[in-house]
Amino acid sequence: MSLSRLLERLLQLIPVLLGVSAIAFLMMALTPGDPVQIMIGDQSITPEQEAELRRGLGLDRPLLERFFIFLRNALQFDFGTSFYHRRPVSDVIAERLPATIELSLVALIVALVTAIPLGVLAAIRKNSILDRLATVGSLLGVSLPGFWFGILLIMLFAVHLQILPVSGRIGYSSEVPTITGFLLIDTLLHRDLAAFGDALRHILLPAITLGLPMTAILMRVTRASMLEVLRQDYVTFAEAKGLSRRRVLFRHALKNALIPTVSVAAIETGSLLGGNMIVEAVFGWPGLGRLVVESIFLRNYPLVQAAVLLYAVTYVLLNFVADILYTILNPRVKL
Amino acid sequence: MNALPRLLLATALATSPALMPAAVAAEDLIIGFTLDADTLDPANHRKRETETVIRNIYDGLLTRDPDMRVVPEIAESMTQVSPTIYDFKIRSGIKFHDGTDMTAEDVKFSLDRVTVEGAMGDGQTSPRQGLMGPVASVEIVDGDTVRITLKEPWPILPAMLPNQQIVSKAFVEANGTAGMATMTNGTGPFKLGEWRKGDAIILQRFDDYYGGAPDIEPVGAACVDRAIFKIIPESASRVAALLAGDVHIINELPTFSIAQVKANAGTDVMTVNGTRSFFLAMNMQGEVFDDLKVRQAAAHAIDKNLIIDRILDGTAARIEGILSPDAFGASELPAVAYDPEKAKALLAEAGYPDGIAITMDTEGAFKDTAEAIASMLTNAGIRTTVAVGESAQLTEKWRTAGKPKSGDMYFSSWGNGSLDPFDIFTPTHKTNDRGNSAGYANPALDTLLDSAAIEMDVDKRAAMYREAELMINADQPYVYLWVPQDIYGVSKKLSGWKPSADSRINLHDACIN
Repeated sequence: MSLSRLLERLLQLIPVLLGVSAIAFLMMALTPGDPVQIMIGDQSITPEQEAELRRGLGLDRPLLERFFIFLRNALQFDFGTSFYHRRPVSDVIAERLPATIELSLVALIVALVTAIPLGVLAAIRKNSILDRLATVGSLLGVSLPGFWFGILLIMLFAVHLQILPVSGRIGYSSEVPTITGFLLIDTLLHRDLAAFGDALRHILLPAITLGLPMTAILMRVTRASMLEVLRQDYVTFAEAKGLSRRRVLFRHALKNALIPTVSVAAIETGSLLGGNMIVEAVFGWPGLGRLVVESIFLRNYPLVQAAVLLYAVTYVLLNFVADILYTILNPRVKL
Repeated sequence: MNALPRLLLATALATSPALMPAAVAAEDLIIGFTLDADTLDPANHRKRETETVIRNIYDGLLTRDPDMRVVPEIAESMTQVSPTIYDFKIRSGIKFHDGTDMTAEDVKFSLDRVTVEGAMGDGQTSPRQGLMGPVASVEIVDGDTVRITLKEPWPILPAMLPNQQIVSKAFVEANGTAGMATMTNGTGPFKLGEWRKGDAIILQRFDDYYGGAPDIEPVGAACVDRAIFKIIPESASRVAALLAGDVHIINELPTFSIAQVKANAGTDVMTVNGTRSFFLAMNMQGEVFDDLKVRQAAAHAIDKNLIIDRILDGTAARIEGILSPDAFGASELPAVAYDPEKAKALLAEAGYPDGIAITMDTEGAFKDTAEAIASMLTNAGIRTTVAVGESAQLTEKWRTAGKPKSGDMYFSSWGNGSLDPFDIFTPTHKTNDRGNSAGYANPALDTLLDSAAIEMDVDKRAAMYREAELMINADQPYVYLWVPQDIYGVSKKLSGWKPSADSRINLHDACIN
């Protein structure tokens, strides 16, 4: 891909982000529910004190003015102060983001390492018992709701077998000074193997729960595209040449069969970030998803707006990455 | 191709000893808690859960014992000089976590920070200002006495003071309000070890603790070395963590998990009377519920005892007025009997011989109970459909402070953490007040509530609230239902801890055996 094409793609981001900002702002502002009333709750307050609280949050200004203030500040990467945390929204989000990214990446890895071999096996043993099991399994994988499957895993592995913890990122005997924010990496950088194992034990169940629907989808995609590729002439030709079955499958067929898998994986990673909200709540995972859900209910406008923008940017960038990967894997495709 | 499996195997083997469960240090007390703190600044938040955490780090002038009596903590004594002047003698020998002495100057500074406009810096006023009522000034009158002067009498000041905590003036001036959000320097039984945002708040015993309120035994440093608030928002996971032995206390145990927690060998259930009154608001500005007979019919249609027994598992106390049985001024009131036939007769008298059809609004969390109530109403001729809405939207629809509203019936509640009627009676029943979701307007009651709010004679004040209760019991703007208990799941290894009605989890006395 040429540099000018890359720049053009990046420039296309600008109207998208402006649109998303406007939608995020308006959706929050127009949703019924008054942040000040929610904050006061059942506690007593005089009208003057209520007005003072509203002024402090900047909610006494007209909607349009608030929107322009929001836009002006957002352009300078200032997303305002969280109504509840009373700190810059960017700080609050930055604290939670590594946990979410780490969980998403591990879920992605779990999905890739299970889905690809299963998909390939199902394709080369088409209509075998294994293929049917994998098909039924993938159907279950996409249909099982995460909150239910997660609780099931907790009951089995944490409550009955007691081999994995119910929730959290790491135990409290470990203290891991932050370097990257990713505990699996930080523990290794500190050469603290016990803490690494502890972090691994904590991330297993949430990663499996989060990765399950993706595993199912990727397996289906891999199986279908592998079947497609195996029907191609060049595969038949390679077999006719007398190459070993293994060599034909892994050297010739798999490389091409993985192209759709990779691009679907890149796009689905965006939905992993969204699926996090439920999985994070079930496993008490201190990530961004939970924070955003809590903030929506509390009408914590600045935090929700910033998070929606962040999600949008991530999603657009992942699509972009998928496109680039596609051109690398399949040079015939030009952007 | 064989390299990858070999690598994976090697990694698994290398980490397998590390995969063994890490031993939890025996002295860690872990609480499975619903929400993380928003901030650790006692003056800069507006959430009960945040206060629960902060209260273990910062002490207040006054506090509450587990039976909800207000007792001195940092104050040695309180004297009411006049209806608008309160003097607090400050205990000596109290140290902040950084080793500095706490003085009357710190107390004045802390209270000013909450009550004075713009005192938080950056033109910001503390969001907790409203909880301090009409404070005019806070002065140091002689070395160790702090005087609070009110603009007008406000008898609930002592009941509200446990909501405010004392900070170090020097520490705030050095770190600013921004720093106070994540750094702490209190006088409480625990100091902050580490705050893993969204995951856990790790507290460490403060060995130089002055001991806390002398009225709450035992007095001294905290029992455990470390206390950890572990954040688990999902209730099923919180229960699982308790059953698995990962945590020792969980809050908000759902009623349907009570049997499971009791049946488990190492765990038990503890309850305490709550402070939140549940009711059905009937829109008195609407077409049907402006008629007293229709409202009485609704009250007779509901079998409260059955719902308390079957759905709430016995964990609620029924009420006939707005006040919970533990609140100041609560008294025995005429009970509305469950009598669906009488309800039908009342409807007929009101001109609805074929009954009426209405919609009941409620939040998702209360759907089951709302459905049960709806079927009872339907049996008695009030054909009720339940409509589930989100809390913030329903609040805006129903709590209109006098503006016209749509809707027939609202299954809702109002909390009363101070257990003083002022905090619940006035907002829900005074004409056009914030929480008056029934749209009730009774000038005689308004006058009575206004006088009761500032009446200094305790017995007279209680009698006034009894009179008010009798008024609303007769007018029935709401069907008063019940006050649920707060339910906790606890490990049997835990001792010395009791739940308290204000939903705080004070860990000073809690031990792990």
